[in-house]
Amino acid sequence: MARIELSGIQKRWGAVWGVRDVNIDIADEELIVFLGPSGCGKTTTMRMIAGLEDPTEGEVRMDGEVMNDIDARDRDVAMVFQGYALYPNMSIYENIRFPLRMRDVPKSEHDRLVREAADMVELGDFLDRKPGALSGGQRQRAALARAIVRQPQVFLMDEPLSNLDAKLRQAMRVQIKHLQRQLKITTVYVTHDQIEAMTLADRIVIMEGGLIQQIGTPDEIYSDPANTFVAGFIGAPPMNLIEGRIQSGTFVSDGITLPGTGITDRDSVTLGVRPEDCSVADSGHLAGQVYGVEPTGDQTFLTLRIGARLIEVKADRDYRSDLDVTETVAFDPGRLYFFDTGSGQRIR
Amino acid sequence: MASTRRRKGDSRMIRYIVLGSWALFCLAPVLWFLSIGFRPRTEIITPQPIYFPTFSLDAWHMIWSDWPMAAYLRNSVLAILGSVVIDLVLAIPAAYSLARFRYRGREDIGFYILSTRMMAPAIVAIPIFFLFRNMGLLDTIWALMLIYAAINLSVVTWIIRSYMLDIPKELEDAARTDGASDLRILWEIIIPACLPGIITAGVIAAIFAINEFLFTLLIASTKNAYTMSVALANFTGGSDGVIYNAIALVAFLAFVPVFVVVVAIQKHLSRGLTMGAVKG
Repeated sequence: MARIELSGIQKRWGAVWGVRDVNIDIADEELIVFLGPSGCGKTTTMRMIAGLEDPTEGEVRMDGEVMNDIDARDRDVAMVFQGYALYPNMSIYENIRFPLRMRDVPKSEHDRLVREAADMVELGDFLDRKPGALSGGQRQRAALARAIVRQPQVFLMDEPLSNLDAKLRQAMRVQIKHLQRQLKITTVYVTHDQIEAMTLADRIVIMEGGLIQQIGTPDEIYSDPANTFVAGFIGAPPMNLIEGRIQSGTFVSDGITLPGTGITDRDSVTLGVRPEDCSVADSGHLAGQVYGVEPTGDQTFLTLRIGARLIEVKADRDYRSDLDVTETVAFDPGRLYFFDTGSGQRIR
Repeated sequence: MASTRRRKGDSRMIRYIVLGSWALFCLAPVLWFLSIGFRPRTEIITPQPIYFPTFSLDAWHMIWSDWPMAAYLRNSVLAILGSVVIDLVLAIPAAYSLARFRYRGREDIGFYILSTRMMAPAIVAIPIFFLFRNMGLLDTIWALMLIYAAINLSVVTWIIRSYMLDIPKELEDAARTDGASDLRILWEIIIPACLPGIITAGVIAAIFAINEFLFTLLIASTKNAYTMSVALANFTGGSDGVIYNAIALVAFLAFVPVFVVVVAIQKHLSRGLTMGAVKG
């Protein structure tokens, strides 16, 4: 069980920046999720924790010990890969046993440990098979078993579920979280899927352009976004971001007038409001024409057109409408976010 | 429905006819060799077509009784097997290094290895003769092993390298975090995963070696080191003239071992062992 500290981490390949400046303190037994679009530096950061990449600058510490010069195979970390990375020539049993052989665990222990790990991921009946004879979900569970078999200090998971179909992904998500709680192993989990991040994480690290945009619990990230990137990245459908200005405390934009913002006057402000904080009402803050209605069963999303802008609104589950009907929308005044349009930073 | 069924049957028939003709076309030289080898000499060289050939074992008896064919065969097999082993021992680590590690001059070394193949062999024939003479290896199988290995090393290295490039990097990363050293990764992960490539390269090296003539003729002077390919030349000179039926039989004998090996391992000659390693 380990605490991981990353201080001033940078990674550069020639003129190309992978990671610009990352500082995180990951607590023992924490499940931390790195979330961001592809190319944001999240996987590179994880690979530096694993020792598969060397940081250009900065220090990786585990339990206070600097790990920069320690080879990947001597760091007590186990990694699960997006493509499973099972050894194709070995049976599932041999795959799970491989880390035990490499780390000189006494031979007499191998069989018991392999079977325990396989049972934990319900793969006990498939030990004789080769990876090629398993389904995607089974392969990913085999990869998980290989990671947990030697009880490492740290788990690193690089988009482990992104090759699975939606239903399986949900089941595996629960299983990973359960295993992590059961084994109490510090875990770093990389994903671009915000649902995975929200459901799994103790804390989420949102990255973009090699920089950390925000670190916080899922609740903090969702209800207190630090900038427009975080606001737009979290939530499905994403937060509506409406550019405008503040005049005498009133937010003004095409077709929207929102008094009482409590913000001093400025020319370029972005209003953020989540679809779920909007409602169709008889009188409200803005009016627009129905552009599309998307029922999903338990809820219905309504897209309104106001001038050239589209606004997403969460409506009642049985809301239905024809196109081009004019609807009025009210915002929840307690859940409005204002950002500086230029820097994207939140105005508090 | 009936018409669809008939059409499927027709297309299968056409497929068999096409493939059968192709197989016959490919095998025709072999059959022709056999027909020459088992006919009397006089019958082979008449210009008139012969519709009912006579079967004769004269040439067969001759190659075994008048010539040390068993020694030639043994020399060929030992020299080829030895050279393939040397090639694989050297080429596998070299290919791994060229495929995976980044270092200054990697591309140059890769090209240098390949460039050894571009030279006309005759250019180095004389120096190699003196080299082996000074080493006291003339007219030995050891010299043949070394020269065959040297000739084929570049091709073997490049074939194996191309297979290694196809192995997902994730496999190595996984093995490294699992605690494996570079050598363990090569031995336990990489070599099994590119076994089809290694086998392919070995077979190709063996085929090149069995056909090698120039250096063998230079190095070998007695039955100590004569191989099948050089033995063939024995039947073209001398007081007997060109002994076509003996040549045909010796060529067939040289062909059979390669044919047997290729048929035995043909399933490994196709790619596909990495299936299941990563999502595919």
